[in-house]
Amino acid sequence: MTAEPAVSAQNLSKRFRVRRERRTSIKERLVRGRAPGSEDFWALRDVTFDIPQGSFFGIVGHNGSGKSTVLKVLAGIYRPTAGHVEVNGRVSALLELGAGFHPELTGRENIRLNGTLLGLTRAQIDRSTDEIVEFAGIDDFIDAPVKVYSSGMSIRLGFAIAVQADPEILIVDEVISVGDEEFQRKCSDHLFRLRNRGATIILVSHSMASVESICDHALWLDHGRVAARGRSHEVVQSYVDHVNRKEHDSSGEPEPDDLSLSGVRIGSGEIRVVDLQILDGSGNERGFAVAGEPAVVRMVYEAKEDLAAVDFGLGFIHESGAYVAGPNSRPVGPFDVTRGTGFVDFVMDDVLLEPGAYWLSTAAVRGDYMYDHLDRGFAMKVRGTPRGGAGLVGLPGGWRQPTATAGPPLDRSGERRGTGWSDTGSSPPLRH
Amino acid sequence: MPTPDAPDPAAPAAIRDSGGRQVTRGSAKGTRKLSPIAYRSLIWNFTQRDLKSRYRGTMLGWAWALLAPLATVAIYSLVFSLFIRVEPPAFGNGREGIYAVWLLVGMVTWQFLNNSISLGMPSLLGNGPLMQKVYVPSFAPVLAATITVGIQSLIELGIVMALLAVLGNVGWTWLLTPLWLALLLLAAGGCSYMLAVANVYWRDLSQITQILLQLLFFLSPIIYPLTLVPETIFGWLPIRSLLEASPIAQFVIVGRDLLYGLTLPSAGQIGYLAMCTAVILVCARWVFRRWGEDIGEAM
Repeated sequence: MTAEPAVSAQNLSKRFRVRRERRTSIKERLVRGRAPGSEDFWALRDVTFDIPQGSFFGIVGHNGSGKSTVLKVLAGIYRPTAGHVEVNGRVSALLELGAGFHPELTGRENIRLNGTLLGLTRAQIDRSTDEIVEFAGIDDFIDAPVKVYSSGMSIRLGFAIAVQADPEILIVDEVISVGDEEFQRKCSDHLFRLRNRGATIILVSHSMASVESICDHALWLDHGRVAARGRSHEVVQSYVDHVNRKEHDSSGEPEPDDLSLSGVRIGSGEIRVVDLQILDGSGNERGFAVAGEPAVVRMVYEAKEDLAAVDFGLGFIHESGAYVAGPNSRPVGPFDVTRGTGFVDFVMDDVLLEPGAYWLSTAAVRGDYMYDHLDRGFAMKVRGTPRGGAGLVGLPGGWRQPTATAGPPLDRSGERRGTGWSDTGSSPPLRH
Repeated sequence: MPTPDAPDPAAPAAIRDSGGRQVTRGSAKGTRKLSPIAYRSLIWNFTQRDLKSRYRGTMLGWAWALLAPLATVAIYSLVFSLFIRVEPPAFGNGREGIYAVWLLVGMVTWQFLNNSISLGMPSLLGNGPLMQKVYVPSFAPVLAATITVGIQSLIELGIVMALLAVLGNVGWTWLLTPLWLALLLLAAGGCSYMLAVANVYWRDLSQITQILLQLLFFLSPIIYPLTLVPETIFGWLPIRSLLEASPIAQFVIVGRDLLYGLTLPSAGQIGYLAMCTAVILVCARWVFRRWGEDIGEAM
């Protein structure tokens, strides 16, 4: 392996002219003149990176950050506006599988056409046709026109051709995520085999887990600029931190609820829960709860008359539809309510719910008599980091291992507790 | 697993790293060798694709390639030799001319020009999805369309020549036909390419071109001999000389001289056609340099 990088990009910039209104017909040009304003949009700004030969290189970033533009410049589809790129090796780009397929031609004829596009000679194509067919698993259909293929079949065929092209540099844009599990595994196996033969693989993915586990190096693009580059682990970590921080920052403002609220209300209506507020531990309205921190759910009600012995209840329903918990005020006894607006608080010293979106249902009852019940009328977001396990709640509990030393096994040395789990009682009290 | 192979110099990607690297700087494509010759195998594959897919799914298949022009010739012959009696020139072997045969020679020439523009012009837009995903030099789909049409025209020409041979009208001038064909092919390819690129930027150019082509058809001496055109009209416009000066007219006239009249065109005529073709190719090359490499983006 030479020290020369497979790809070297220096101060790469790409500008697109974005016309506010596209006038591509001559009539429009004549009748209405030139398009009024064209704005410059810099899809890439001063992007510099090197990709060592024989490495797996990941590109991450939010939508519209310029990832695909970089790939298209590397593949030769776009010319950079400024800066320069050096690509050392035969490039095969998988920007879209089966892009070059002609529907009327058979699979075999398309293999020949696509192979030429990827730079294979006729002899090479003829030699590898059988392997391509076998890899794609479409023997029965190889002489049928591609238009009768299922989408899975054409994707498999496209990938098979591209990997059989034995590229020195393979550019993959999120395409492996299509196809069934078995094919995906086949693809990633093949990518590793390609790399073992010295190929360089450039991967754009939204799956941080795969970038982190597959790639050696990574580049994080933010609005067309390099936000970070280096070892994939570090780049992915800083990208994930950034995304989390941004979500945290933006949570102060009201954001559109991801959950649609059903809001079916039943009951006699002497008292109604009209609002629900989420407060933090010190009583400031926050709009969301944080896993592992204290939070208060404040139920604001309007009573048309004085009522005695009212019990309040809450239902927490996870976005998946699972009913997680339904605490009510019965254990602490009913409340007396005076006419007008008031509130009761459901206080959690430690939010056990895992991060996610939850619906909240509210109820006010007296015995079996239903004053008010609003089904999934409110939504609540729980933020923070998951406690590590699966499921919807961080279940209180500790871990231990029997120790060889004598002594009661129930406390002490071997005991380990779940992270973020506080031991101040598992049943939060209900206060008025 | 495919065994690594010695790169074929004709394969586009192998050319891309000829000398080991591809340098892209600013708007110029650096060392990448961009010529139709280097990409000939890609062009040929596009041609095969066009040929195979063109008549697939039709009942008569390839027969259409011949039936359509024959029908046109039949219609024009009906009108211009039976209704309106256009006198065709005599054959090169001295026999009395036959309008339909005389028309066929001009028609094959015209059909080639016309079809290669009609098929080549939308070929960039038609390959849009591909060109946004894979690097394809923009001349490849257009030249493939020209060659596709060229192959059809060659078959037509073969039939015309067979017909002429049956009529005993064969001469040494036929040997110059390949030169005439080569110039025609290059000129048609260059024009198609420029129009195809322009069509990406102005989508309704194809409609305008259809009308212009119709106008050019009637302005060229295809269905009528130039001798039927008055020397001047309005008393001042030398219409016959003007029509005669058009490259299309010259291609038709030279083709007829070679195949039908069995007379050698003047060196001036050949030189004129060669010059026109050269100008077209230089312009096409300039268009390619200026806009041709941004097609994927413009789409």
